Amino acid sequence: MAFDSLRTRIVVFFAALVVLVQGLAFFIVSTTNYQIARETIAQELGVGERIFLRLLNQQRDQLEQSAALLAAEFGFRQAVATRDAPTILSALANHGARASANVMLLISLDQIVLADTLHPASRLQPFRFSYLTKLAEANGRASGIVTIDGRLYQLVVTPVNAPTTIAWVGVGFTIDDKTAEDLKKLTALDVSFLSQRQGEPWRIHASTLSENVRSGLVPAITDAGKGVFEMRVDNQDHEVRLALIEKQGDTEIVAVLQRSLAEGIEPFKRVNTAFLILAVMAIVLSVLGSIVIARNITRPINELADVARRIQGGDYAQKVGVTQKGEIGELASSFNHMLDGIATREAENLRLAFEDQLTGLPNRAMFHDRLDQALILGKRNGQPVAVMMLDLDRFKYVNDTLGHPVGDLVLKEVAHRLRGLLRESDTVARLGGDEFAILLRSGEPERTSTVAHKIMHSLESPIIAGEQPIDIATSIGIVYYPEHGEEANALLRRADIAMYAAKRARSGFATYDLRLDEDRQDHLTLLGELRRAIDQNELALYYQPKFNLGIKAVTGMEALIRWQHPTRGSVSPADFIPFAEQTGNIRMITRWVINSAIAQCGAWQAAGHTMTISINISARDLLDREFVQYVSAKLSEHKVAPGLICAELTESALMEDPVHAQETLVQLHALGLKLSMDDYGTGYSSLAYIKDLSLDELKIDRAFVTGMNDDPLSAAIVQSTIELGHRLGMTVVAEGVETADELSALKRFRCDFAQGYHVCRPMPAGDVLTWLGRKA
Amino acid sequence: MISTGATFWHVGKWQLAVGAVMLLVAVPAWCGSLTIKVTDPSGNPVADAIVYAVPKVGTRVPAQTPRPVSIEQKDREFVPYVTAVQVGTSVNFPNRDPLLHHVYSFSPAKSFEIKLYSGDAPRTILLDKPGMVTLGCNIHDWMIGYILVVETPYFGKTGNDGQARLGEVIAGEFDVQAWHPTQRAQVNAKPVKIEARNNSEIEFAIDVAPRKKRFKPPAVGVRYP
Repeated sequence: MAFDSLRTRIVVFFAALVVLVQGLAFFIVSTTNYQIARETIAQELGVGERIFLRLLNQQRDQLEQSAALLAAEFGFRQAVATRDAPTILSALANHGARASANVMLLISLDQIVLADTLHPASRLQPFRFSYLTKLAEANGRASGIVTIDGRLYQLVVTPVNAPTTIAWVGVGFTIDDKTAEDLKKLTALDVSFLSQRQGEPWRIHASTLSENVRSGLVPAITDAGKGVFEMRVDNQDHEVRLALIEKQGDTEIVAVLQRSLAEGIEPFKRVNTAFLILAVMAIVLSVLGSIVIARNITRPINELADVARRIQGGDYAQKVGVTQKGEIGELASSFNHMLDGIATREAENLRLAFEDQLTGLPNRAMFHDRLDQALILGKRNGQPVAVMMLDLDRFKYVNDTLGHPVGDLVLKEVAHRLRGLLRESDTVARLGGDEFAILLRSGEPERTSTVAHKIMHSLESPIIAGEQPIDIATSIGIVYYPEHGEEANALLRRADIAMYAAKRARSGFATYDLRLDEDRQDHLTLLGELRRAIDQNELALYYQPKFNLGIKAVTGMEALIRWQHPTRGSVSPADFIPFAEQTGNIRMITRWVINSAIAQCGAWQAAGHTMTISINISARDLLDREFVQYVSAKLSEHKVAPGLICAELTESALMEDPVHAQETLVQLHALGLKLSMDDYGTGYSSLAYIKDLSLDELKIDRAFVTGMNDDPLSAAIVQSTIELGHRLGMTVVAEGVETADELSALKRFRCDFAQGYHVCRPMPAGDVLTWLGRKA
Repeated sequence: MISTGATFWHVGKWQLAVGAVMLLVAVPAWCGSLTIKVTDPSGNPVADAIVYAVPKVGTRVPAQTPRPVSIEQKDREFVPYVTAVQVGTSVNFPNRDPLLHHVYSFSPAKSFEIKLYSGDAPRTILLDKPGMVTLGCNIHDWMIGYILVVETPYFGKTGNDGQARLGEVIAGEFDVQAWHPTQRAQVNAKPVKIEARNNSEIEFAIDVAPRKKRFKPPAVGVRYP
């Protein structure tokens, strides 16, 4: 179980918490207990001392009473009165035994010991404890603790009255270990009796202590002196209290009361032990409890994790079976909702993965899939399979001008129409954009060609989007299995090539031809070489003069790009410009052209020949946001007036992205450049555009000019176009002028410029000045 | 207690009156008298002191048989408290209490014991030796009585005024002695010469301890006549 696991962390946290709390509590309890124990022992000692002293007093009173009774006994008095020593001694012994006295003395009124049961033989000694008789004289009786022969006695002195006091009787009771034991029973303290004469060591007379503790007592007391102290004997601590019970002359008699700390602490130790057991139990229980809680928390979590793993594996069937309430239950319920959501979305994703959302047709992936299957089937059955690829001509224009919703409607309608033309076993897919593909499982060329015709026919009728009818057209590329390839990717690529061929040929549909592919390969190679061409200076600008029909002089040149390929020789722009446009290399080429042409313009101006230079601008250039800036920078660099540069653009370039194109044109116009519409008449020739774009020049396409003298309609178009241009304030250039007749006709039509082989073929820049010189 | 004291007092007076009558009636011509005053060292009169005149050698005292003397037990006390007798006097201990007494003495001068009795004692005690006889009752510890046995017929006891008068003392030389049961020290005898028809006076100062009152429980269930 790693520490990272929630369960471990919960358990460890709770266990640590409980251990901490219990440990702290145990520490406090045991410390407090010890203090309480000490205080209790001290209190016990205090109480014990009071009880002890009281007991001692009571005992003394009892002894005094029994001594008094003894002394009052008539027979005893009678015996004493006989003054016969043996009689007196025996009476003392006899009556002493009655009172359980251990020593009996008879003392004369003048303090002479007349009889002594301890020392029967000795007589007439002075009484050593005369202070007692004096006290007794005053109080009727007296007692004290005395040592006789090294033993401790409670000695009571009481008068013998007959009826006046005729003598004193001393009644002594031994204070011995038994006395101490009796006192211990009542006080619960160890009791010892010690005496000390000034300058002499302490002597123990009686004690409840064991021998070894007893032996430690004297040194401890000698060290400690008086009051309360602790002593350590035989590895046991004792709390000791010293009570002075008699002091006569130089002799002190003390009672030593003590309690073993170990004994005193014992009950508290039991409390500690109980507490410790309780603490351990609490820890164990809390650990078990937290394990249970942790398991209750982690079981559903683990279950959730389990389900999550299954979801990862793609199994959405298994729901979380947690029935708990509260947060976990909520989580489980959210989890199940999430599960449903994921399942739904994945189904949707799956659908999206294979279906085009807009049209509901299969998408590229599915088409691939179906194609693969069809190929396998076709291979097995020896059946041909046809793949058609088509896109919509000018779809981008529709999208840009009418908006995407209309574009979408168009695509949907196309999809609908395509679908309606095909069998169930065929597949129509939208590969993306306006690109569709059709798979015919039984793709015999006859049927395929029929289908292609049907498609073209079906798309001829305009599509109604809103209230606006939209004309669309399509180009279809066709490939056959196994003729054009055995593998889906190859087939699709070749269908694509065929489609472009159809588009270029404006033929509606084209079947793949190996030659097409070779062309294509060729182009690709060319494109690869194009970069190198710029670096290696393989590109060159040729200039074709624009003859000013009004002043009969050349006042401008059109810059035309040429690629002098090291192996292929001269490559036509038509062979590489479109592909450069497709691959984005056109930007690089245009910039090279602009730089070269402006530089050339500057150079010729410097040489005394001020001419406008026309440069062909691609649709892509118009979308290049830095284009205008680049032109402006180059004009300044070569000190060329903007008015000497004329930007020529085709209608189709404008149509690709009219909004951006117009922006760029406005900026170029603002910069001072002249703008020219190239190839006018072949495209849409939207007059609205011409009006809006503030063009300076209109170039009539060669298709109308060349051979116009034999074609009155073309001549009419040329003439009316010239008229139109002039009316709109533009100069008009006629391209493709190949004969003198054409030139004179243009003069007649008041055309402004003529350009063509008849005037001059394009020539390298180096030949221009020579040509101009010769012409002049 | 006070009433018993009063009774005791009354008896004393009565005795003194008898003595005075005797003195007035017949005083032989060869006799003198002696007045003795006993005080404590501060000069306060001391009552119950025994005074007696012991004839010196050469003074002849006529032999007399002493008359018996009674010492009563009354209200659990010896009455009188102090008595002086001449050697050879018989003493009677009549019990006037409605309870028994057990009179004893352990004194060297006379040791005796009359066990529990009531009314007149079963026997009289002959005091045949001079000295002090301390009387006690074995069942009433507080009862104390003193008898001083003297070897002279001339003795007396001081009254409350501390005076005692010895009448009809034969003329001659005497040693006069004073004694009190609680005296702290023995006093020295004082010589005196008694002259016929003359009264001699003598004073003693005795340091006397106050009479120790012993605990006397009240008489319970006893009716005194």
